[in-house]
Amino acid sequence: MTLKGGTTQACAACKFQRRKCTPECLLAPYFPADQPKIFLNVHKLFGVSNIVKILKYLEPSQKKVAMDSIIIQANYRDKYPVHGCWEEICRLQYQIWLMEEELHVVYQQLEICRQQQQQQLPHDDVTSQLELGMAPRSSNALALFNQTPQPQSYNINNNNTVAAPLSVSQQHSYSNSNSVDYNNSPLYMDSKDNATNPNLWIQCPYTSNNSNSITMQPHQLVASESQPLSSVQQGVVEDNYDEMHSFFDTVDDRQSYIYSKEAYESSSEESLKDTRKCTEHVSENELKSAAACFSLTSVN
Amino acid sequence: MMASSYSSSPCAACKFLRRKCNQDCIFAPYFPPEEPQKFVNVHKIFGASNVSKFLNEVLPHQREDTVNSLAYEAEARIKDPVYGCVGAISVLQKQLIRLQKELDATNADLISITHQGSISLGLGHVDHSNGFLNYPSNLSNDM
Repeated sequence: MTLKGGTTQACAACKFQRRKCTPECLLAPYFPADQPKIFLNVHKLFGVSNIVKILKYLEPSQKKVAMDSIIIQANYRDKYPVHGCWEEICRLQYQIWLMEEELHVVYQQLEICRQQQQQQLPHDDVTSQLELGMAPRSSNALALFNQTPQPQSYNINNNNTVAAPLSVSQQHSYSNSNSVDYNNSPLYMDSKDNATNPNLWIQCPYTSNNSNSITMQPHQLVASESQPLSSVQQGVVEDNYDEMHSFFDTVDDRQSYIYSKEAYESSSEESLKDTRKCTEHVSENELKSAAACFSLTSVN
Repeated sequence: MMASSYSSSPCAACKFLRRKCNQDCIFAPYFPPEEPQKFVNVHKIFGASNVSKFLNEVLPHQREDTVNSLAYEAEARIKDPVYGCVGAISVLQKQLIRLQKELDATNADLISITHQGSISLGLGHVDHSNGFLNYPSNLSNDM
């Protein structure tokens, strides 16, 4: 609908409501005529009168930011009709938890490597021991293990623990993203979790019984959102962050995340188990390889 | 007044709207009279008719989750009229990006340390002078 004698097209809000779009239209700046879907989503969730009410009590400088957040919220509700923004929050919290787990594993590997490096620093001791066919110190077991050609089973362990940490983390993330039961995941917060996880600050407070916890179960996350971590990260972050980044810079950073102690311990235990396997195999082959070293090397 | 699904008193929605709470009231299972603030918040931000439309569009077993998520968003918007629950999403996304950068940097450190470790052990290092040249291949031939 165009104004009489004018070239300005009616905004999407006025078009939808089939009314005249005046220059004083409150919603015109936020709902351009060429994007009717945006207004439809907002209208479906909030309704025009509620949006006007929200904007009414805000400062002029805050109105644009508020409208942007309202539009984002409505878009999430359109995308996830049952859970809306909560689904996105749960997904992000889970990704953060996965990433924390990966980081922990990588830090462990880093620590192991640094210890190895420090122990390898007296290099002459190692080479002289090898030349004499002596078993190296137990702390160098992994160093020797890295040198020797490994049987087929070793390659996997070696790659997992030292040479290709990324493959471990990727495997870890894939397995977690595809097989986790969201109903029992650390993100499923109930009244018990609220008591035991004081770090949780994003809480959905409504349940049928307890006013301070949730029983909502993001079922849809299992069915529709299982994806490899890297692609989810890229997709979610790039799609959504760009549109909020510019005006959410003022939001205070709060260090908060869902942290599952059990999963944390189990993943760290697994990586330690891999390391132990390596050392056991190394001890079996130590004498063999040391003897081979003795026969091959020559002292100059 | 007609009984709600769980008790003889009207549900919080019908109480607030001052209307008869029928047995087929769509709000009754999800807005118990003991939680009046829940419906007040939802009504203030979204309106009863919009909530009713959403409930009618989803499957019955999804309605409780729908109501709880709407209640969460409504409360977030009341507490923070500018950002609402979207502020939480923004914070989490920033945290994710920060973690990703940290993970990338830590992985790079690990790769560089393992690479340094390989070099110091003389693996395939041409300049090594004490016979460890071609060490692994010699061993494999013998073994």
